[in-house]
Amino acid sequence: MVIAGLGVIAMLSEIFSFKKLLYPLVLLGLLAAAVLAGLDWNHDTRIPLFGNMIMFDNFSAAFTIVLSFTGFLWFIMARDSFNEESSLTDHYALALFSLAGAVVMVSFGNMTMLFLGIEILSIPLYVLAGSRKTDVHSNEAAFKYFLMGAFASGFLLFGIALVYGATGSFDIPKISLYVAEHATNLPGFFYAGVLMMLAGMAFKVSAVPFHFWAPDVYQGSPTTITAFMATIVKTAAFAALFRLFSNCFIPAATTWSGVVWTLAALTLLTGNITAVYQQSAKRMLAYSSIAHAGYMMLAILAMNKFSATAVLYYTASYSVSTIVSFTVLQLVAAHKGSDLLESFNGLAKKNSFVAVVMTIAILSLAGIPVTAGFFAKYYIFTSAIDSGFTALVIIAVIASLIGVYYYFMIIINMFFKESTDDSPFVIGAAHRFLLIVCTLLILALGLFPDIILRFWI
Amino acid sequence: MTVYLFYLLSFIAILSALMVVFSRNPVYSVLYLIVTFFAIAGHYVLLNAQFLAAVHVIVYAGAIMVLFLYVIMMLNLNTYNEMQKANWLRFGAVVSGCLLMVVLVGSLKGAETMQPGAVHDANIGLVSNLGNVLFKEFLLPFEVSSLLFLAAMTGAVMLGKKSIRS
Repeated sequence: MVIAGLGVIAMLSEIFSFKKLLYPLVLLGLLAAAVLAGLDWNHDTRIPLFGNMIMFDNFSAAFTIVLSFTGFLWFIMARDSFNEESSLTDHYALALFSLAGAVVMVSFGNMTMLFLGIEILSIPLYVLAGSRKTDVHSNEAAFKYFLMGAFASGFLLFGIALVYGATGSFDIPKISLYVAEHATNLPGFFYAGVLMMLAGMAFKVSAVPFHFWAPDVYQGSPTTITAFMATIVKTAAFAALFRLFSNCFIPAATTWSGVVWTLAALTLLTGNITAVYQQSAKRMLAYSSIAHAGYMMLAILAMNKFSATAVLYYTASYSVSTIVSFTVLQLVAAHKGSDLLESFNGLAKKNSFVAVVMTIAILSLAGIPVTAGFFAKYYIFTSAIDSGFTALVIIAVIASLIGVYYYFMIIINMFFKESTDDSPFVIGAAHRFLLIVCTLLILALGLFPDIILRFWI
Repeated sequence: MTVYLFYLLSFIAILSALMVVFSRNPVYSVLYLIVTFFAIAGHYVLLNAQFLAAVHVIVYAGAIMVLFLYVIMMLNLNTYNEMQKANWLRFGAVVSGCLLMVVLVGSLKGAETMQPGAVHDANIGLVSNLGNVLFKEFLLPFEVSSLLFLAAMTGAVMLGKKSIRS
């Protein structure tokens, strides 16, 4: 049961007293949650859980596994940066709460659960974004994120209310039944509700034109928290968006597909083009994460039988690559004291291991073959072409070519430029382990894409 | 009779909500907001949901408003220093606001001919019914929201706590 996983996570965070034991316990707990979710594979969805508040089907199980595992990797990554902070247990607890919210978001069976999941995901993050209390940028990030998040929640809630007004239910199966039966004579405000829910979710996934908060928040927050936002939040938000639209609103597709089309095109172009002009690597990764939201919107637009797999595969490969790139960024920034692109200069000479790992991660983000990112993009594009969105796929391909340009700037800096100082660049064993695991995952996913896909269809 | 009351309350609610936005003094805004909340509580009573009305008044008009006033008092916002915003930003805000209004108003067109979906149960808002729904149908969201509050509390404690080093 998902609740078992949730319970593990929530209980763990309650153990405030033993600091030393907590860390391995968290890691084990996250793995256990992933395994429990895996055991629930092919869970009979006809048995309602908690009056259908939660529908734990294969979709949610798969995403729960991805989320728990990303959480696991993230905790390894975050270990050192947490140790610097004085309030260690609070950070653990908040991150775990947030993860629990993400799990709720991918398995909701009712609008109330969707809303609660989003709030549980977001509220700890508002705090975590501002966890560097003396840093002005961190405070600004927290405040901006909080205001924008509250605004988005308002939109989402208004949308839910309008949909409720039109269909008379919060329950996902009931709504989808109602929409399917009354597809031709739905009241106008139903569509307004759908669009407002879309706007609210677009805030969360930082799709252009709702992306204005993202670069500032990503840059201002501590790097570990940014990695959390870029991986877990994005995965959960896309899974929720996909689940919502594929379960409920397919009959109304004519209304929202045009909007999603425009959102996706804008997101792809704005994200990639703006990223080219960034000086700071962190900000560049923030824009690239906006751009990746655009690719995933393609799958939501396509909405055929491959789309769920494509989203799952994309989020998994994207999360792993992002974790690697942010880990390296964090190490480099700690080493050099700045996260400008120049900080990467000459990294290959100092520590070729890190440079190679970073290159693989970046190639994966750019979507170069052999890495996971290539197949992720490939599946998204095929799924979109199958549904007849060829024009948008062409835009996406152009956008990813632009993407290759700025991703290669980092690689060029690492390999072909000289560093200004010669201080040695060392990394700890935990980070080394993390980087190796992630790189193997990227390559494994790229060489054998079936390992995720086979389970599905 | 109830219809007139409904229109009166709606009028008060909308008028005071507008005043919240338009008044220049933040303290007045808060006071108008209290009026809005009371008007909405009146709507709850008209729907026979006394418990909700009471909770609404206690929580919103009582606790949260006091908090608002407190913060305003601390920040000392009485001096006028309105931020100057770029003109294109204002223009964009006005355009998107108007568009949103057009969409919302337009989408409500034709709604008046709709038949209400479910049969209205006059006792739906009473405490016992509310409790039944909350602890039977909506038990899980109820419990999960406790997780939300726990998270919020942990966050508040973390932000409020002094750093050990400083």
